[in-house]
Amino acid sequence: MTTTILQPALTPTVSARSWQGLGRYGALMMLVSLVIVMSVLEPETFPTWDNFVNILNQSALPAVIAIGLTFTLVTGEFDLSIGNTASLGGVVACTLIVDDVVSVPLAILLAVAVGVLIGLINGLVVTVLGVNALVATLGVGTVVVGVNYAIAGGLPVTLDDPEGMLKISLGRFLDIPYPVFIMIGLAVVAWLLLNRTVLGQSMQAVGGNAEAARLSGIRVTRIRVIGFVICGALAALTGVLLATRTASAAVSAGDSYLLAAFAAAFFGSAVLRDGQFHVFGTMVGVITVAVGFNAIALLGVETYWQYFFQGVVLIVGVGVGTVARRRAAT
Amino acid sequence: MVSQVQFDPSVPRTGSPSPDVLPSTVDGPLPLGLSVRMEGISKHFGGVRSLDDVSIALQPGEVLALCGANGAGKSTLLRILAGAEQADSGRILLDGSEVRIDSPRTASELGLSFVHQELNLVPKFTGLQNLAMGKGSQRPLGILDRRGVAKRAAEVGEMLGHRLVLDVAVEQLPVAERWMLSLARGLMNPAQMVALDEPTASFTEGEAERLYRVIGQLTGAGVGIIYISHRLDEVLEVADRISILRNGRVVGTHDASSLDVRSLTHHIVGREVETIERRGAAQPRGASVRLSVRGLARPPRVRHVDFDLYEGEILGIAGLVGSGRTEIARLLVGADAATSGEVVLDGEPLRARSPHDAIGNGVCLVPEERRTQGLILLESVESNLQMAQIGASPNLASVHRPGRSRRTARSLIERFAIRCRSPKSAVHQLSGGNQQKVVIGKYVRTEPKVLVLDEPTVGVDVGARAEIYRMIGDLAAVGTSVLMISSDFDELAICHRVLVVRDGAVVATVDGDSATKSRLTRLCYTHDNEAIA
Repeated sequence: MTTTILQPALTPTVSARSWQGLGRYGALMMLVSLVIVMSVLEPETFPTWDNFVNILNQSALPAVIAIGLTFTLVTGEFDLSIGNTASLGGVVACTLIVDDVVSVPLAILLAVAVGVLIGLINGLVVTVLGVNALVATLGVGTVVVGVNYAIAGGLPVTLDDPEGMLKISLGRFLDIPYPVFIMIGLAVVAWLLLNRTVLGQSMQAVGGNAEAARLSGIRVTRIRVIGFVICGALAALTGVLLATRTASAAVSAGDSYLLAAFAAAFFGSAVLRDGQFHVFGTMVGVITVAVGFNAIALLGVETYWQYFFQGVVLIVGVGVGTVARRRAAT
Repeated sequence: MVSQVQFDPSVPRTGSPSPDVLPSTVDGPLPLGLSVRMEGISKHFGGVRSLDDVSIALQPGEVLALCGANGAGKSTLLRILAGAEQADSGRILLDGSEVRIDSPRTASELGLSFVHQELNLVPKFTGLQNLAMGKGSQRPLGILDRRGVAKRAAEVGEMLGHRLVLDVAVEQLPVAERWMLSLARGLMNPAQMVALDEPTASFTEGEAERLYRVIGQLTGAGVGIIYISHRLDEVLEVADRISILRNGRVVGTHDASSLDVRSLTHHIVGREVETIERRGAAQPRGASVRLSVRGLARPPRVRHVDFDLYEGEILGIAGLVGSGRTEIARLLVGADAATSGEVVLDGEPLRARSPHDAIGNGVCLVPEERRTQGLILLESVESNLQMAQIGASPNLASVHRPGRSRRTARSLIERFAIRCRSPKSAVHQLSGGNQQKVVIGKYVRTEPKVLVLDEPTVGVDVGARAEIYRMIGDLAAVGTSVLMISSDFDELAICHRVLVVRDGAVVATVDGDSATKSRLTRLCYTHDNEAIA
């Protein structure tokens, strides 16, 4: 009875509808207007194919980690260890290659396996021990930093023979860098996983109402752990991809991706949906930030504006969506 | 038994109305009981008209019931009086003087007390902490007057004829116990008018009797009561007058003595609705045993439960709050783990360690609280309807086909007459009855052998209630075994047999044709064991 009861005879007023539209499309409109403004301001450099590819390339790494984070967020959990996991992923891969233990592909695979392990630990601590995800992943993340220092001794790990790694980042197919394909491929797979499999539907149900999901037969613990595992794996992969850019890995190289991923995912939750996390939204979030950074570079303003921009995008994107939904509901 | 009337004029009123809202004719302490009038109240939500020119009047010492289907506007009207919502137009008069109630605080200062349908208790707090959250429980410097609160709580508890549980976190208490606390909280400060929104939704007869006595006490002291309930027999018993709302309008105000359940139902729905049809001894004799339960236990709530459930049978469970009825249901579906006992389904032992196992074996529970346990409120009708199907799926990697899911959703919406704009509508936009149909539909979709329903009609209006009974009847007719728990002993008439549960054990089995309300009530309380084949 406290909910708004819809009466078919009456249609929502025009203002309620336009607020609803703003709530759904506001974040997307922000991206579109950014593109239009930049095309007008910098018609020579911004609206070009090369710059478009460049923006996508810049989006690739944040996209991979943010897609992973989206899985945890969809299940109603949180992961603050992803930045540390990314750092560790790069260090593990590079160390294995430098020490000539394994080949490049196997090193990458093992680094991702480390991410899976971290995700598994996160998931079990949160579900089996019942520790709040915020605390659990902060704790596990701190341990990961320790492991990272133990492996690398705090120094950057640089490859003697960088070719094998570098070609992953620098290689191109159809004149488009490989990371762009990796990003698009992962986004498509993630979308299919969330929307076209029982697993994905279960994840959304768990995030929506865990108790109702459990009583509907969904194995909530298992689903949450899987969310953490996917998140950890993609975080480690992000670290590896970062290492392929310079054929070296620093102990804190991936840390800054934590905030980038959260900003993108939360911005994305205001895209088309009413505050739910979804892959398409996350991608829009990543690309909006990348376009903004690109604009800052092209306009030649100081790089510290990047931080202002990222913060404002997050607050405005999510804030406008929230206010608009509230207005639409009253 | 109850010796103390709360509204003793010698008790100083905590907090006094600000001067501009005080009726100008009153000098000195206010007399107990105000007349309350709401005139021409209209309210829109996002372009949807919830109330349209509604007027009601309450005299001191009178019980005015508000009746109407879910969504008729009863709760919205109360929320406006409580200051939780502002009307778009219309005015509120207390003893003939217009007042502006702009916040729940103002309402409370005016002596208007509200016990809401939604439990507004803090789950982690103990009963005492919850009761202490109101005004008047603080000493200077904001220090909590624990002793004063405890004393007042004891007085209120005595008046309710109920020992309030004050030292346990509210989340650990059963629903009815929480309701008692909610009610007590509304009475912690002396009130001029008390509004009760669905107070007995999860009460059994005996608990409701206690509430009636409290109402008698209050009205005797001149306090007016606004009463909302879907239980029409109860409304007819308690109310002096009844205002009937339909689609946001008052369609009539009648003396309760001039109405009976049938005519009241007619007014509410605006059409004839079939009343409960007693299924009686027409039980599926000769059918085989579907579910056999022996020695099921999880102390302290469930001590020893034995029963058989036949194919196509509707078996009721009658019990007081705290009798273990909900806990039995939770054990059957593996929501909690039994410490001993065995369950046999179609001749095979059923070991349900989780609802996933149970649903996979065809045993489903429609839980007690649909909003928190049954639905994802912000999700679509369609997503909610597919949830148990998803949960029953053994393979997480299997493909989910939205097209097929939507077709099934549409057919369920049609089959159960779920009223929603489209399968894409968020489920919180539906009325309580339609929400409940979604929860039942979700489980029916998995084609269960045994469907356990815990309080399936709480907060559901008469029209939708009849439809839910029909759903249950139809399911049994095709061989589904139904176990139905209810506090509303009248509705257990739809059962073939009724189990009476007390102190975690089955104490009697009654045939449907003799399962009258008075008999079940007596069996729930008394200890003379009675077993009827």
